Amino acid sequence: MRVAKKPGLNSGGFLLPVFRNRVAFEVARGIKAFLNLEAGVTRDGTPEAGPENIGASTGVRRLGWRLTGRGPAVDGSAAANGAQAGRVRPENMIWIFGSGRSGSTWLRSMMSDMERHRVWEEPMVGQLFGVFHKQAQEGQLKSANFILGEPTRKGWIKSIRNFVLDGAFYANPRIKPDDYLVIKEPNGSTGAPLLMQALPESRMILLVRDPRDVAASVLDGARKGSWLYERKDKGKWRENALADTNPEAVTRRRANMYMTQVGNARDAFNAHKGPKVLVRYEELRADTLATMKRIYSELGLPAGENELARVVEKHSWENIPEENKGEGKFYRKATPGGWREDLTPKQAGIVEKITAPLLEEFYPA
Amino acid sequence: MPVYKTRTAFEVARRIKVFLNLEAGAVRNGTPGEASSGGEQVEKLERALTEREREVAQLSAKLVAAENGAGGRAGNVNPENVIWMLGTARTGSTWLGDMMKGLPNHDLWHEPRVGEFFGFYAYERAAGRKTANFILGPQHREVWLRSMRNFVLDGAEARFPDLKASDYLVIKEPNGSIGAPLLMQSMPESRMVFLIRDPRDVAASALDAASEGGWLSQRMKKSARVRARVETATSQPNTLVANRARMYLQAVGKSRDAYEAHQGPKVLVRYEELRADTLNTMKRIYSELGIPMGERKLARVVNKHAWENIPEEKKGPGQFARKATPGGWREDLTSKQIKIVEEITAPLMKEFYPAG
Repeated sequence: MRVAKKPGLNSGGFLLPVFRNRVAFEVARGIKAFLNLEAGVTRDGTPEAGPENIGASTGVRRLGWRLTGRGPAVDGSAAANGAQAGRVRPENMIWIFGSGRSGSTWLRSMMSDMERHRVWEEPMVGQLFGVFHKQAQEGQLKSANFILGEPTRKGWIKSIRNFVLDGAFYANPRIKPDDYLVIKEPNGSTGAPLLMQALPESRMILLVRDPRDVAASVLDGARKGSWLYERKDKGKWRENALADTNPEAVTRRRANMYMTQVGNARDAFNAHKGPKVLVRYEELRADTLATMKRIYSELGLPAGENELARVVEKHSWENIPEENKGEGKFYRKATPGGWREDLTPKQAGIVEKITAPLLEEFYPA
Repeated sequence: MPVYKTRTAFEVARRIKVFLNLEAGAVRNGTPGEASSGGEQVEKLERALTEREREVAQLSAKLVAAENGAGGRAGNVNPENVIWMLGTARTGSTWLGDMMKGLPNHDLWHEPRVGEFFGFYAYERAAGRKTANFILGPQHREVWLRSMRNFVLDGAEARFPDLKASDYLVIKEPNGSIGAPLLMQSMPESRMVFLIRDPRDVAASALDAASEGGWLSQRMKKSARVRARVETATSQPNTLVANRARMYLQAVGKSRDAYEAHQGPKVLVRYEELRADTLNTMKRIYSELGIPMGERKLARVVNKHAWENIPEEKKGPGQFARKATPGGWREDLTSKQIKIVEEITAPLMKEFYPAG
């Protein structure tokens, strides 16, 4: 984009930008429309042309929609021109619960590339509410004074709802009423029962994976030099380097965490009356497209097969650059049953003992 | 042209304009760099737009908060008449709470632990988490502080439905004091009592309570946490004393921070002065909080809850009402325990008990 001084181009004598290409021009125009502020920010009203004219690529179209608040309705039946930015609709929230290292990043990446989907990445609101509630003493829970006491449950469940909806809106300020908000919250699954009770009309995905593969994945990531080791530097995490010095302790801790997170997510799933779907990582890996179709079908979300195929292809394991995957990387193995090679018999035994109820329920074989 | 209801709204709109630096087209000044390929350009613009959106969201949140202010809700609990009692446990907060509750138009919310709820998460568990996605992310601080405020007020209204807007609600929250800065920021018009006591006496009291047969072990037999504390008090009393001192440092430190930053009515109260001259200290408390209260009313509650009026069988070693003797730590703690407390709480000792 160049800015040229062309006398007569506008009566105010301002410098007007000259755009080299249509994309840049439409983006600038979209920003004006997005702001729609008269107090000197924009000179003109909302542009007449919608962003549909911007260009052929999905990226450009999506950017245009973000800028103008215009775009096709979710079902594609009609344009939702003029849709106002507003609160997040609880029924359009799609929660992903389960446990970390179960393919939630992969699933949310695919979903984020669906039309009119946005992502709220690990807000940890489930951890905020869930852990405090879980750790409360029995006497506290019975007390009407306690902020999360049972006698006033109805009231604070409503407060949680408002807390989440406010947070969701301000973390995703340009969300439109017809947009879907995918909330990736595996590490907040302890609070899944509270969140789903607070938002009963929301959609829920319970994403599970064999706990032995989860433990193997965490052990690999937590070893010195691996991605998790490098990312975490809180407390004595690195100093202790437990994955190298005491892998059984890491395995035990992870298995206990799995029990809490997946156990609570399972409880929420069973109690939830809204649209919901149980997804095993193994089936998502074995037949991604069919599983994605099932997810969208069971959640009652419209999705064309072509669009699903596109996002599945884009985020397939094969399309991750080789240098970004392998041992010690975030994208490690993606091989269900890999724990047989990765865990010692003792480590596998620890996981099986601690997670026995969930193993029996989800992986009876 | 928009008409703004308030100066704040106008300023926010003006700041958005300035921030975005937009005039006639996409930019006001200068020439942007050469356009890159379509895909890269879109990604770059998406990133830039995301940042702008967040900035606008922050400003919007400030605007909403400013426009709503205290008048944003029509509940029966008036935030201005909420009196937070913060500091740490074993500082006489139950005694002070009982006296205040006995005054006309006062009620007491006993330890909701809302400060512990938000404070522990923000300052401990999720400390350092700064992403915009995080529910307590710094980018949306105004939003979640407002949500916290609503959480507290919703909770208060559910529990005290008969409270009138002109009534006072004392929230006794010594064990939630880690969240004091967040609580006071979310309710800036509220009143605050910062109640402290010599940390050595606090440690001595905690040690006595957790001792085998002490009130804590009797009261909470079912709690694994309390059982562990009793076990520690018996087998490793120095460890319990050190833990209590660290807790003091954190809770009183956060309360002190909140107290210093708070612009609303507030008062600092030492347990020792409350014990030495209760009536005059109560008069000072109400004066500094800006709440009119007659001396006879204060004298009545002071007398009713005086140490001397507690039945003998309900006070003494192992009881909740134990000693009420400032400086009793000299008899109760070993020299090693005294040193432990003094070392850990040194910054606060120096500030509040400089005489040692």
